[in-house]
This record gives sequence, structure tokens and C-alpha cells, in this order.
Amino acid sequence: MNIAPETAAGVRRSAFSILAAALGFGHPEFAARARRFARRRYANMIALSLSFAAMLFGVFWLLWILWETLAIGFGSLNLALFTENTPPPNDMGGLANAIYGSFLMAALAAFVGAPVGVLSGIYLAEYNPRGWLAVTVRFVNDLLLSAPSIVIGLFVYAVIVIRFRQFSGWAGAAALALIVIPIVIRTTENMLALIPSSLREAAYALGAPKWKVIVKVTLNAARAGVLTGILLAVARISGETAPLLFTALNNQFWKSGLSGPTASLPVTIFQYAMSPYENWQQLAWAGVFLITLAVLGLNILARLISATRNGSSS
Amino acid sequence: MTDTTTRAAPAVKMAVRALNFYYGKFQALKNIHLDIPANRVTAFIGPSGCGKSTLLRTFNRMFELYPEQRAEGQILLDGEDLLTSRQDVALIRARIGMVFQKPTPFPMSIFDNITFGVKLFESLSRLDLEERVEWALKKAALWDEVKDKLSQSGASLSGGQQQRLCIARGIAIKPELLLLDEPCSALDPISTARIEELIAELKKDYTVIIVTHNMQQAARCSDYTAYMYLGDLVEFGETEQMFFKPGRRETEDYITGRFG
Amino acid sequence: MNEKHLSSQFDSDLNNISSQLMAMGGLVETQVHRAIAALAGFSATLAAEVIETDDQVDNMEVTIDRALTSIIALRQPTARDLRLLLAISKITTNLERVGDETHKIARMVKSIVESGGARNMPIGDLRVATDLAADLIHRALDAFARLDVSAAIVIMKEDDLIDREFKGFTRKLITYMVEDPRAISDSLNLLFLAKAVERIGDHAKNIAEFIIYIVKGTDVRHSSLTQVETALQEP
Repeated sequence: MNIAPETAAGVRRSAFSILAAALGFGHPEFAARARRFARRRYANMIALSLSFAAMLFGVFWLLWILWETLAIGFGSLNLALFTENTPPPNDMGGLANAIYGSFLMAALAAFVGAPVGVLSGIYLAEYNPRGWLAVTVRFVNDLLLSAPSIVIGLFVYAVIVIRFRQFSGWAGAAALALIVIPIVIRTTENMLALIPSSLREAAYALGAPKWKVIVKVTLNAARAGVLTGILLAVARISGETAPLLFTALNNQFWKSGLSGPTASLPVTIFQYAMSPYENWQQLAWAGVFLITLAVLGLNILARLISATRNGSSS
Repeated sequence: MTDTTTRAAPAVKMAVRALNFYYGKFQALKNIHLDIPANRVTAFIGPSGCGKSTLLRTFNRMFELYPEQRAEGQILLDGEDLLTSRQDVALIRARIGMVFQKPTPFPMSIFDNITFGVKLFESLSRLDLEERVEWALKKAALWDEVKDKLSQSGASLSGGQQQRLCIARGIAIKPELLLLDEPCSALDPISTARIEELIAELKKDYTVIIVTHNMQQAARCSDYTAYMYLGDLVEFGETEQMFFKPGRRETEDYITGRFG
Repeated sequence: MNEKHLSSQFDSDLNNISSQLMAMGGLVETQVHRAIAALAGFSATLAAEVIETDDQVDNMEVTIDRALTSIIALRQPTARDLRLLLAISKITTNLERVGDETHKIARMVKSIVESGGARNMPIGDLRVATDLAADLIHRALDAFARLDVSAAIVIMKEDDLIDREFKGFTRKLITYMVEDPRAISDSLNLLFLAKAVERIGDHAKNIAEFIIYIVKGTDVRHSSLTQVETALQEP
């Protein structure tokens, strides 16, 4: 923190200006100017301290949450977590089925959602960005982006679960994909919009057809940003509970596929944390720890990717 | 307007006839008539918003990327009207190279930057491609600086090198006409001098049109100069004449810095 | 030069150098008048004054050249401004030469006075030419100040008058020399004087040519008057 020397310099300087004013340094205007300067330094000091305090306030809670999660979660880490399925109350067990289910659903959601999102983003940014269709899609997408995830869960419940009369991992993945798509659309469109039009024009000027300009030049230039968007979307869905409650439900047992109720980390955490059983609570903490770690990892990865992009383009 | 066709009479590469251009309802070019001489450098000068860049961008129909822009009239490249041509616009653009104000290296290697345009219309063997890359980079006076790092990203070059890379990319497709839209405005004087040197070299093989804000640059590297103001072509003539004794008072005022 | 440049510093630089040139012109004009007066009255004092002042004229040329160099280096003038500055450079050279001619006349007058042979020389016959020359220089500088092309053309025409006077005077001197061989050395001195006066007229004509160059952009040196006039007919 470089606040200390700043402040010290400020105090020194205002002391100097007060002294200068007291001695009537030079002509009267100098004194007035020195007073104004001192006042400005003072205001600056106050603003700086306030914003620093606000920052501390925010970081304090964040660190506390992280600390609690890590401290308690780390204690309940063991190998069984990854090898054994969720146990009945007051029995030993792990989270293997939940981890696997979560991974499967997130992967499927990303696998379906990312291409749809990227392609839609390309349409919005490159093809007719001001047409009525684009405007409508953008508006709906914004709605979807800010819709509570439980609404999406309920929607998938109504459309898929009720129709097939069964909770399933497929429905869970569908709900997650519906969360991925708007995020990816938004980031893809924004990233493509950031590409200067002169780059596009340069490619067109060589006689390149539109699809080639997009694939080879614009999308390529926005690659890091688009990838970052996908990663952040994955990070987001790996912690979602609400959309899975009505869709994938939960499952005590290992399942290799996605048909039928499927276990997932967030839902398991939700159930176990609320339970009165000690061992379930322990597992919930371990799950929280794993998710936090995964989300942290994805975020850091996203940072790294966008950092390399910025590094190479400037 | 000074009639230059009578004097040196180089062949006309591109003829502009009764060209009007509109951004939506705003008319940006007004009834332009202009003959671009072949194998010469023609400079477009004029204050900001005079239409010089707009005129340049009609030559390869770049304006068609934007739905609200349209052009009327004729632009004849070797007698063929580009605006009504039934040829695919991509084929027309492949005959006309363009370099922009800011360097625009594609997000790929130096080698791929140059082959990008070449591969669009020619299917060459790897060896031929390598030969073409070397040829273009040598033409653009960049070969010696990049020959050992052709697989590096184009973005890793300095601004002046990037701009020369863009020029190399433009000539690699062997165009007939080279359009330069303020190619030096983002460059330092040494890079600028290099590019001006290059322009003088290029006119042996190409017809070059350069838009510039810098009048000294127009004076230094062009053979012909067109002065534009508010969408009108005020005067067109040999550069030497334009900078020594322009035919019109408006041109003289602009060139001597009495504009405003 | 009514409209202003975007750069007012450039304007004041140009104004400055123009007024320096006018000052030099004024001084040279005075020198011409003094030299003529010295010649008319065989005044050694006036002649000495002319000789002394010539250094001043030379210095002014150097100063103006330096200012020109700096304007050209810093402003890269074009078109009208470029022609003006080139013309100023040439006009300064011509003015300096006029100064040299007055210096020559003054030295000649001095040596004639010192040799004591002055009185019976036909000085009066030079009168017309000297007056014409002084008038031409005056009008050339005037025309420059107003960038007056038609005045410049008149000056170019009148220089022919001086040339004719000079030829007539030469013929007259030859007659004198044939009649009285003792007058030969004095007559030769007079011939040199006449030549100097004729040169002053030529310089005035050159200045007039540069006025046309500034305004019209046409170089009318070494072309006949009719050629000049037809060239100027073009818009």
C-alpha cells in the first residue's frame, strides 16, 4: 500500500503551505493558492481513506468466507471423497457420484451451450447487428441473462421433466446449458464488437468471403475473450443449485449415464448441509471446498487466457 | 480544374465519372470526375471530412459493408465499371490492395498474414507460397527484419513493421491498384520515411493512391495531387504544380495554411 | 497577402522579412540618390558617405538571408509563400548588387575628384539615365510593396529607355574620344559610371520580374516583353 508515503507527503506539503500562508509568502495570491491546494490535499486524503476502508470491508468478508470454506473443508478432505458414493446418514462415504454427475452435466451443458452461444454471438456481432432479429435476440438474451436460475430450473421441469415423467441428468444438463448460452452469447458478441472494423475491412479488402473473415480473422482475434467467456460460464454453472433441484434431482448411487435422477455437488451440498447428520455436514463442507477450488481454478485460468491475449496484442 | 491529360499523358488506370456518394441522406461526394494515371502516385489531400477517404473506399466497394452507404456514378478500372460490374465484389477487391490508417496485422503468423490473401485465389505449392512471401516482404522492405521469425505473430512487430507487413500483404495478391488510407499517420518519422521510400519503389509496378493529412507527405511522394473540400474535388493536377502554383485560390489557401 | 495563416507566428515571420526587405530597399534607394548627387556635384564627402554605408547594405542582405533560411527550414512554405520567399531572396541579391553599383560610382567619383580632372566632363549627358535609374528602383520597390503586376510591366518597359540612353551616351563618348584623345581616360571613367547606372536599371527590372513571379507564378526572366505579356494573358 502506497498510502503512507502519499499521506506523509500530503501532511508535509500542507504544513508547508500553511507555513507559507502564515508568513505571507510572496504576494497575497500565493497564500490563497496555497490554501486551496491544502484543501485539495485534504479532500484527496479523505476520499482515499474512505475508498480504502470500503475495499477492506469487502475483502474482509470475502477472505472470511474463503477461510471458513478452506479450513473446514480441508479438514474433511480424504481419498474416500473421490472413490466412494454418498453414504446413508451416519455412515462413511464420499462424493464420487456427485462429482461425476456434476462434471458430466456441466460438460454436456458447456458442450451444447458454448457452440450455440458462440454462433449466436457471431450472428449478433457480424451478421446484421442492427436488424430486428438481432435486436429481439439481444433483448431476450439480456432477460435470460438476468433471470433467476430457479426460473430456468422450473422451465426445464415443466418442459422436459413433466413431459418425460422423470427427473434426469439430461434435464439438468439442459437447464445448465440454458444458463451457459446467454453468458456465452453476451461475451462472444462483446468480444467480437471490440475487434476494430479496420481489421475486418483489411480482410475484405483482400477479397476474402465473409465466413472466412469471421473464422480466420475476427473470431481468431477474439479467441481469448470468447474462451474466457465460456470458462466463466462453466464456472458459473458448476456452482448452480437451483436449476438442478427440479431437473436432475439427486441420487445416492453411482450412475454412468444421465438418464434418471443424477447426483450433483451443489444439490448434495444443499441437502447434506441442511441435514442433522454430522457426517453429511462434513461431506457438505468438503463439497463446498471442492466447488470453491474448481471455480477459483476456472477463474484464474480465464484470467491467464485473457492476459496472454492482452500481452500479445499490445 | 487544370487539365493534365494534355501534358505528360500517362495512361489512365482508373476513371471516376459523375460519382456521388451518400451516408444515409448525407451526400459525402459530389459529382466527382477524376482520372487516376497508371503507374503514378496520386495523393488525395484536404481537411478532415472532405471526402478523401470516402472516395478511396468507393474504389474497392468497401462501403458496401455498411448498408446505409451507397454510391452512384461510374468507377472505371481499365474501362470496366466497378460499381455495376457483375463480377463478384471479392474478385474486384482482389485486384485492388488496400492499407489502412492503423496497422491491421491479422491474428496469425507473419507468414500466414501474407498467404491469407494469396490462398484465397491461388492454389500454390508450399514452395511457391514461400517464394511469394519472400517476394512480397522484399518488396515491402521488411524481409531482412523478419526473415528469421516468419512464424511469429504479426502483432509482435513494431508499428512501422506492422504497416509494412500490411503493405506486403496487399501486394502479395498482386493487385493492379494500391490504395493507402493515411498509412503513416500512426508512425514515427523514420517508419514514415521508409514507407514513403517504399511508395516511390512501388509505383514502378502499381498504380498507387494515397490519402494523407500530411501535405508535405503528399508533396514528397506523389506525382499527382487532388485537393478535396466538402465532398467536392476542387483541383487535380501535377503535384509540383499544385504545390508551387495551384490553379485555384481555395487550393492555394489550403496548401499554404491559410485555411480556416 | 490579406488572409492570415493558421499560424500567426508564420504571418509575423513573413511580415517581418518583408519589412526588412523594404528597409533594405529604402537604404539602397538612399544610396542611389546619394551616389547620383555625388556624381552630379563631384562631391567627395557624399561619395565617402556612400562607400561607408555600403557595409550596412551588405549586412542587411546577410540578415535577411538568415531569416529566409530559418523560415524555409521551419515552415516548409508552399505555393504563394514559397514564391514570395524565393523572390525575396533574389530581390535581396539584386538590391545588394545595386548597392555595389552605387559603391562603384562613389569610388569613381572620389578618384575623379582626387585626380582633379572633373570639371569639364559632360556629366549632364548622364542626367537622364541617372534620374531614370533612381526612379525605376523606387518604383520597383513600390510595386513590390503592393505586389502590383501592371506597375512591374511598366518598369520592365522603361528599363529599355535606360539601355537606349546608355547606348546613346556611349556613342557620344566615342565621339569625344575621337575628337580629343587627351579626354580618353576621363571618358573611360565616365563609361564605367554609365555602365553602373545602366546596371542599376537592370536590377530594377529584375525586381519587377520577381513581382510577376510572386503573383503569377511565371518565370519571366530572359523572355521578351511581348512574350511576357502573352504569358500573363492566361488566367
